[in-house]
Amino acid sequence: MPRAARSAFTPNRLLSIVIGAAFAGPAAFVVWRTLRLGASLPDTLAEVPAPLWRTIQLAVLVSTTAAVLGTGLGWLTTRTNLPMRRVWRIVLVLPLVLPSFVGAAAFIAGLAPGGIIHDALDVVGIDAPRRFRGLGASWLVLSAFTYPYVMLPVMARMVGLRSSLEESGRLLGLSASATFLRITLPQLKPAILGGSLLVFLYTVSEFGAVQLLGYDTLTRVIYATRQTNRALSFASASVVLILALGVVALERSQRGRVTPDERASPLPSRTIILGWRAIPALLACLFVAGIGLFVPLLSLGTWARRGLADGRVSLSDLVDPAISTATVAVTAAVLAVIVVLPVAIGSIRRPHPTSRIASVFVIGGFAIPGLVIALALAVMTLNTPLLDRFYQTMGLLVLAYVIHFGSQALAATETAVGAVPTQLRDSAKLLEPNWFRRTWRVDLPLMRPGLAAAGGLVMLSTLKELPITLLLSPIGFSTLATEVWSSYEEGFYAATGLASLVLVAISALLTWVLVLRNSEAVSS
Amino acid sequence: MASTLDTEPEDPTTGTPPNAGTQTGASIAISDVTVAYDSPDGADTPIDAVRDATLEISAGSIVALLGPSGCGKTSLLRAVAGLERPRTGSITIGGRVVSDSHTWMQPERRNVGMVFQDGALFPHLTVAQNITFGLRGSANKMSKRARTKQVEEMLHLVDLDEFGDRLPGTLSGGQQQRVALARSLAPQPSVLLLDEPFSALDAALRLQLRAEVARIVRRIDVTTIFVTHDQDEAFVLGDQVAVLRDGRIEQVGTPDDLYRRPNTRWVAGFVGEANLIRGRFDSAVDGATPHEHVGEPNNTSGVQPNSLVANTLLGPVPLSTEQGRAHGDVEVLVRPEQVELRPGDCALITDVEYYGHDVRYELQLNDGSILAARATSSELYENGDRVCVRFSGGPTEAWPTAGSAHSCRPLPTDFRIG
Repeated sequence: MPRAARSAFTPNRLLSIVIGAAFAGPAAFVVWRTLRLGASLPDTLAEVPAPLWRTIQLAVLVSTTAAVLGTGLGWLTTRTNLPMRRVWRIVLVLPLVLPSFVGAAAFIAGLAPGGIIHDALDVVGIDAPRRFRGLGASWLVLSAFTYPYVMLPVMARMVGLRSSLEESGRLLGLSASATFLRITLPQLKPAILGGSLLVFLYTVSEFGAVQLLGYDTLTRVIYATRQTNRALSFASASVVLILALGVVALERSQRGRVTPDERASPLPSRTIILGWRAIPALLACLFVAGIGLFVPLLSLGTWARRGLADGRVSLSDLVDPAISTATVAVTAAVLAVIVVLPVAIGSIRRPHPTSRIASVFVIGGFAIPGLVIALALAVMTLNTPLLDRFYQTMGLLVLAYVIHFGSQALAATETAVGAVPTQLRDSAKLLEPNWFRRTWRVDLPLMRPGLAAAGGLVMLSTLKELPITLLLSPIGFSTLATEVWSSYEEGFYAATGLASLVLVAISALLTWVLVLRNSEAVSS
Repeated sequence: MASTLDTEPEDPTTGTPPNAGTQTGASIAISDVTVAYDSPDGADTPIDAVRDATLEISAGSIVALLGPSGCGKTSLLRAVAGLERPRTGSITIGGRVVSDSHTWMQPERRNVGMVFQDGALFPHLTVAQNITFGLRGSANKMSKRARTKQVEEMLHLVDLDEFGDRLPGTLSGGQQQRVALARSLAPQPSVLLLDEPFSALDAALRLQLRAEVARIVRRIDVTTIFVTHDQDEAFVLGDQVAVLRDGRIEQVGTPDDLYRRPNTRWVAGFVGEANLIRGRFDSAVDGATPHEHVGEPNNTSGVQPNSLVANTLLGPVPLSTEQGRAHGDVEVLVRPEQVELRPGDCALITDVEYYGHDVRYELQLNDGSILAARATSSELYENGDRVCVRFSGGPTEAWPTAGSAHSCRPLPTDFRIG
């Protein structure tokens, strides 16, 4: 690395500062705005505790459930002789492809007269519950779709865990269950904590599902009061923001002092023989996959089939939304990668405080709920004389996506930058003096897999995104997600079902390409 | 050395480990043990890792299970620990059956300590917490003060006095293995199992640690079984060595037994380098009618009257066995150091490996066959020198010639890794 380049403000560093500021902007604006609307602060603060308490209740319940389910299922599918465990390892991760608002809609539609759950209960002779809403319903739906966030890292950790640790525990006098508690669980702690944190954040920023299920969390308050009582809306947004960042900080400090195990490659683990316990284990897997995957898909499928049969909906209705979804998702993906690239280059090639701060801001974006970003950008543009023409334009919509999902692109982009080591770039410099041709012939081909992964992740998140799209999309612009939303609000379940299935099919395809195909280590 | 503990009164149902409190080894009896694994994913036929193994281990002794990788030695060790349930056969520790067709004692009740290849220290606990880990079990509960004292003693034993508060991740490989040893010894087990505990270390450290472990294990008199694929390690540490091959115990004996009197050609080649030289059984009383050979015709050194003798290219070789007598043609085991070199014109030196204390030569005899020889470095030959060879040493083993063996061929010698 040339010494001459050590001046504090290289172009790349300046760029990193600008990008970091852009990512931190919405959050800063929300807090600043809340403080400036201080006149009504005492009044609004009186209205926050109740929804805050409901949000915390739900988030704690859901993340605890996800931690237990994810750990248990991760253990079952990697360490025991559970029948068909290769299949389960994939099936049990699949609930990830269902956006939670789609899942909520599927349950409500399924319980409505004519829905599959309603009819199935009817056959058994039970009346379907009239109302499916509130804390219990939100807990069930969100848990069923978020536990894979814990299960995936637990599975990865289990595979790398040396069975000699557990065997040592046994030989030192612990029973099998005590060994699990005192040896295995502490080893899994970082994976469980990290996964549960994601679920907690997901629940705190969840908008669509709680809105459909009528559970008044902070996000619902933000949305409902965004025009009528802006002070309350911003105060709630600030509280959500502080809650999210506080939890991230708490998790970082609790991660524990377990150093990653880098000793000799792990010995093959012994499979635990379940015996008769295979039957309850299978039933548990079937139950979880049923709630998280089969029942919602069947429910959506039934309504869609009915609508297609009597001609009230057709796939051609979805061509336009599908095209706009694809367009906006691809644009956001490409832009996100381009935007985080300078930050990634800075933090990989020339680590410096500025690039580190910039990458912290970009990564911090994952903790900021999409609704908060949307609210901030909407109010910022509407109230600023020259910017107001950007409100509800494609540009602003894509910008919001990039800020919200840039964090997902950063890690993969850093991998891509790391794929071109310094020596390689140096030798390329000697062989091909032209910067442009060198980039084209050497850097880009090597970085392509990482960049594609980064873009793919952003794409996947964008197509499932709801609150930003609802608040910021241009009039008349609809994506598959908003199609699901609006048809549900009209009570048109057949259209909800069809749009959901198309959305799920596309995101399942992307998930398969991005996640499952790349985690062959886990599934082998 | 204490006798076995069969006589100690103990209740077989409570699972109280034998001799809790006093640190004395227990005898071990393994009989007809077969360990099998389900073949990974799919096929129904289980794969036998150990077949019909029988082994008696007296209290307080050190036994090495030696064999190439994949021969089943680790599986046998795990069966003793209770980490693997044998399909057939029985295992007895200290006179108590811990495993047979209708008895199964859980590993945590066997009072067995084990050191794994990777140390298996709990990465989330400090060194001291690792060592006290086994002292909290119901089997041998200790007061807090007793535990602290025990940790200090164990740390001192493995020479890591100042390391109690460190986390395993901050220790070197050798230190980790010493902590693992201390942890397994802290609950005062009657049996210590070592599963290739030195294999992850580099050569110099391995030698040092192995000497240290030998010292500790002998001092506390615990019955020890260790697994290794390193013949030197087995010979240096083991009172007895059991050689395993393809899941079967080929031979059990002292290191000297195995080296001088191997049961089979395979064992002969596995423990050290072996030349197998074709010869003809000759029971002539004086052994003085040598056939044609390349050595000095009249020398009969090492051949005593009335002994069994085979006539070979190296002259008459005294035998310790009657095997192959009826057959006539035999293959005689000649260790390289039993080949004596002297100036002459019977063989060509084709390779010289200088080790300092001795020199290994590879020779091509006039009939084209290859022979390995080891000699002290006091008299050096060079590549291309011509020499004469003859046998020099005590009675050795021979086997009936199998098929069309070469007149003389060194067995593949280096099964050792590292």
